[in-house]
Amino acid sequence: MIEVLQAGLCDLVMDRGRPGWAALGVPAGGAADPAALVAANRLVGNNLAAAGLEIILKGPTLRFPQGGVVALTGARFAASRSSGMAVPWNETLVLAAGETLSLGQAMGGCRCWLALGGGLATPPVMNSRSIFLPAGFGGHLGRPLRAGDVLASGNLVGSVHLCRARAPSSARDAPLRVVAGPQAGQIDDAGLAAFFAGIYRVEAASDRRGLRLRGAAVTHQRAELPSQGVLPGAVQVPPDGQPIILGWDGPVTGGYPVIAGVVTVDLPRLAQLRPGDAVRFVTMELEAARGLAEEQWEIEDMA
Amino acid sequence: MGKYTSGQSHVHPGWRWVGERGLRVATGDATLAHYDVLISRKFTEIEDIILADGSLLLILRQGATVSEGLRTALLAPSADVPATTGKLHEIAVEYGGAVGPDLPALAELAGMDTAAYISSHAAADYVVAFLGFQPGFPYLRGLPAALHAPRRASPRLQVAAGSVAIGGTYTGIYPAGGPGGWQIIGRTASVLFDPQRAAPALLMPGDRVRFVPR
Repeated sequence: MIEVLQAGLCDLVMDRGRPGWAALGVPAGGAADPAALVAANRLVGNNLAAAGLEIILKGPTLRFPQGGVVALTGARFAASRSSGMAVPWNETLVLAAGETLSLGQAMGGCRCWLALGGGLATPPVMNSRSIFLPAGFGGHLGRPLRAGDVLASGNLVGSVHLCRARAPSSARDAPLRVVAGPQAGQIDDAGLAAFFAGIYRVEAASDRRGLRLRGAAVTHQRAELPSQGVLPGAVQVPPDGQPIILGWDGPVTGGYPVIAGVVTVDLPRLAQLRPGDAVRFVTMELEAARGLAEEQWEIEDMA
Repeated sequence: MGKYTSGQSHVHPGWRWVGERGLRVATGDATLAHYDVLISRKFTEIEDIILADGSLLLILRQGATVSEGLRTALLAPSADVPATTGKLHEIAVEYGGAVGPDLPALAELAGMDTAAYISSHAAADYVVAFLGFQPGFPYLRGLPAALHAPRRASPRLQVAAGSVAIGGTYTGIYPAGGPGGWQIIGRTASVLFDPQRAAPALLMPGDRVRFVPR
């Protein structure tokens, strides 16, 4: 059980999402870096499909009336415990009954994930506990956490193993790798040159629906496009030429030209981009992109 | 720039990749028929399917590739696929007034009075081409040509749930309140989307719709 003493900027209940409903206009959603949430679940002995918290930029203050086994993965945040003990990332943490965990500002990156032994027991909606914020369903009452909220958790199965995880080493400043999008041919040479030579900045108006970028305009011939299916990582070019990278809760259809698609293994990097961060793009061939291996988390027992 | 082609698939010139997991297949007028085939055949490499305006986006499972069976099904002539027999829904609509603020302007654009516009909108048989924009938002095909109208130059910040609207060649219904750029001509009390229902979307691709003025 978790009592929310103070909410963070936007604390969301997430699991691995709800694929399979796109024909109804509902994107799969789920944790922005599913592997990081899964790693946190493994550290506390949970089923990999268990729900945890996705926390962005400034974290909440949480009380654990019955104590609990928790783990934090993803971006490191300033953090403290009422017991005064350390709050390591990527490790199993055992909290005593009544202990409080306070997360402050992200110290780099944007998002972290918190798993609790037993998993968060919010009611599943359309086969998932993930919140879909744009339509206000799933998660805890279809909204971000607020002070006073109480989240139930499931039962911890088996005994507690203290584990440590090694996060994949991602090249934070490397350009995002993209494959050509379906309308790349409609972008003129100047537009393509701007897109691949430019440094874009993440705008404050970004969220889980999309990362809005500002930089050199991607000039293109405007034409009415029929709505087409899109997915997270698709890079749309609206009339003003400022690209938008669609996020996890983005629309399933869009009418803007799609210049490129961020390769799947680079999508977790989008989760850690914060307003003001620089983004560059580099193109790669589709077959090469398919050959990229997803970077693995390694979990080991703490002896 | 070298060659930066349009995400073209090696398999078929009419297919395009949207990222390396999304395969956009041009399906034209046979979009629903193709969708029915894909649903009934349950291809294991497909995680999700998005219907759109004359195309399908197949989202492949991570690491999966297009099987020979799927390739064949996508290339099969549409004559081989069963015709969609969509459920018929009658949607009661209050047209005009405060709940349909764009009706007078649209009637004028169409060169008819509002009563004639309403009759024309309600007389047509519509088919749900696809759902998008919001969960459960139906893009309804079948709008009479005289009623086609461009979207608003600047979107409204707040459109009420149940608003019946015109956007280009489509008519649609907003399931939830929020910003929206379509022209609003009326409102229905029908609940288009409820995630708690066993079938969350009232209208499904291929379903037929008639509007009933009230």
